[in-house]
Amino acid sequence: MTARRRDPRAERAARVVPTGGPRLRLALTASDSAAPASGRPRRDPRARRADATVQTAPRLRLDWSGKALAAPATTSAAAVSPAVAGRGVRAVAEPVLRVIDAPACLVFAVLDRADGALSALDRQVMAAARLLADALDGAVVALAPDGPEDWGPEDWGALGADRVLPMPAAWAQEHAPEARAAAVGAAMARWSPVHVVFPESQDGGDVARRVAAVVGERLFAGVESLSAQCVARRAGGGSRELSCAPPRLLSIAADAVAPLGPLRHEARPLDPVAVACAPRLGAARRLPVDPDGVGLGEADFILSAGNGVTDWAAFADLGRALGATRAGSRVVCDAGHLPRDRQVGASGMVVSARSYLAFGIAGAPQHLQGIGGVGHVIAINTDLHAAMIKRADLAIIADAQAVMPALIRLMRERTHG
Amino acid sequence: MVDVAVLLSVGRHPVSGRARRAPTDARALELALSLPPGRRTALHAGSPDSPALRDYLGMGLAELTVLAMAEGRDPTDALLARLRALSPAPSILLTGNRAEGGEDSGMLPYSLAHALGWAIVPDVVALTLNDDGSAELVQALARGQRRALRVAMPFVVTIHPAAPAPRPSAFGPARRGRITVEAVDAPEDTALAACAVRPWRDRPKRLTVGAPGGGSGGALDRLRAATEAKAGQGRLLVGPTPDEAARAIYDCLQEQGMLPR
Ligand SMILES: Cc1cc2nc3c(=O)[nH]c(=O)nc-3n(C[C@H](O)[C@H](O)[C@H](O)COP(=O)(O)OP(=O)(O)OC[C@H]3O[C@@H](n4cnc5c(N)ncnc54)[C@H](O)[C@@H]3O)c2cc1C
Repeated sequence: MTARRRDPRAERAARVVPTGGPRLRLALTASDSAAPASGRPRRDPRARRADATVQTAPRLRLDWSGKALAAPATTSAAAVSPAVAGRGVRAVAEPVLRVIDAPACLVFAVLDRADGALSALDRQVMAAARLLADALDGAVVALAPDGPEDWGPEDWGALGADRVLPMPAAWAQEHAPEARAAAVGAAMARWSPVHVVFPESQDGGDVARRVAAVVGERLFAGVESLSAQCVARRAGGGSRELSCAPPRLLSIAADAVAPLGPLRHEARPLDPVAVACAPRLGAARRLPVDPDGVGLGEADFILSAGNGVTDWAAFADLGRALGATRAGSRVVCDAGHLPRDRQVGASGMVVSARSYLAFGIAGAPQHLQGIGGVGHVIAINTDLHAAMIKRADLAIIADAQAVMPALIRLMRERTHG
Repeated sequence: MVDVAVLLSVGRHPVSGRARRAPTDARALELALSLPPGRRTALHAGSPDSPALRDYLGMGLAELTVLAMAEGRDPTDALLARLRALSPAPSILLTGNRAEGGEDSGMLPYSLAHALGWAIVPDVVALTLNDDGSAELVQALARGQRRALRVAMPFVVTIHPAAPAPRPSAFGPARRGRITVEAVDAPEDTALAACAVRPWRDRPKRLTVGAPGGGSGGALDRLRAATEAKAGQGRLLVGPTPDEAARAIYDCLQEQGMLPR
């Protein structure tokens, strides 16, 4: 984005206070209208210094690292003065509440919310719905299972929802595609939205197709690029691109739309619609899977060993006890302790697990490249200065051979008693 | 005895672009051939001249019915009429979960299931029949997970790429198998014809780095993300006893929801 050009004349004209007298009077306090419209918050050096002041007596002490500020015990002024927004590299101003009272139309965003959590794709679906709605002066309705207690209208509003149509909270946990599709169909009949946006995830795509079959309309599945005028998807075995104006039903592929920045919308709840649905799919349950049979790129929870592990029997037991997929660094795979397809890193697999438990791994750059997309890293190492310790969210300086049996014991205690 | 209908389409090799068995359709046929004996009806809507159809016959299929129609036609009604005309009616309809070479929206099985009034289960990898006219299905989920379901017959099943690999096609059966052609009158697919078509070009990957809302931050943020190792939250325990360490790891994993409660 190019920087907005300033117009000094217009800024000056905005500061003119009409007095009627012969002398020109300018308002000195920068009014809101004079603030640069670029959206970049203005830095206030005085306020920054005031915030960085840890103590003034007996001697002035300043902390520019921003750590003192993170502690809630600092000045109460932080809560009052909006100047705090100017602190830090890229502080974001609190967005203003946007209320859309009489929307020209409605856009539905049907979210998965699997296991009660909002996935990245769900956020992208909200962004897509917002984009379509803003082009039509419409409002976004989020259709999702009602959340846990601590999830309120503000959270929906922060996602960009003008209205919320809650569905039974139980659907977040259980597998109910037929009931979900019936609920979306009933809501479509009642509010006739112009667009209904689904996530092209496994369960979301299933619901989308069920809805499309019931309402007898075409689903534009797996949108890869989206604008208010044109949507495109991949077809013909990946060889062709089909594009058209945004249709009524569309599902969004993962990472096709950028998620939104901070927003504040109203998230007014709508009355839930009654659904009558006799589900034909029953007795749904998750099957236990062998964690070592799951491909490393797909695994959700990885137990990884490096050169610091010597007790391989305990390592295998720990993998079984935790239900984690086993993996290792290159040194371990070279030595033949684990098969080659279990190697994590630049010359092995790039993993995207949510949790990565690393025993005795030094954290060479080639290894860290492989775990760039990991959510949460726990590292156990005897060396306080290992790179892995720096990368870890929880780092433990201890002997791997001692911690592994202790953890196995703890797991057995917790599961059997 | 269980009567099964399988819908087979012609796939497209991703590199050479040549016609081939569609991978999930071939898996659907493999599953159909491994079920207990009964009538197997294989249907293809499209051109009867495709060489890939013989590859399906080579898997041990005796006969394949082709509903001949030109490209760009909507096969739903023709397939539906043909399925309704089968007597006795099949109790299971197997398809792949996504075609390869057409619109590839994965809608056809859903439209058929809705029109037939049958249940539909997507992304199945295994199927076992119970004596009481129901079946146990196993669905493949993301991250290698599996879900078991029970559904009463008749139903439609779409097959996931993680299902058992199809047997290779043998030359003899492929020669001997019979292809029955029925010319049908299919309406033009107007929605598809209204779309603009052009060759697919990969788009640059979207970078979501930086700003707290997940939107893309400035250039500096992106450079940092590309060059620096990510730093964790950095909780540090120095020299705890093994039991303390184990407890800390356990609590942390539980917080992440990685352990069964
Ligand atoms: C071209 C190239 C590609 C490569 N690709 C990869 C790759 O894909 N993946 C990969 O992993 N590596 C790769 N490497 C190798 C990489 O550079 C490192 O050599 C390797 O990752 C180190 O593995 P490590 O951490 O297990 O072993 P080490 O470097 O030997 O580290 C062992 C760690 O364990 C700790 N330790 C020792 N004893 C204990 C104990 N009792 N308890 C706890 N901790 C203990 C030590 O403090 C040390 O930090 C590559 C290298 C090259 C040159």
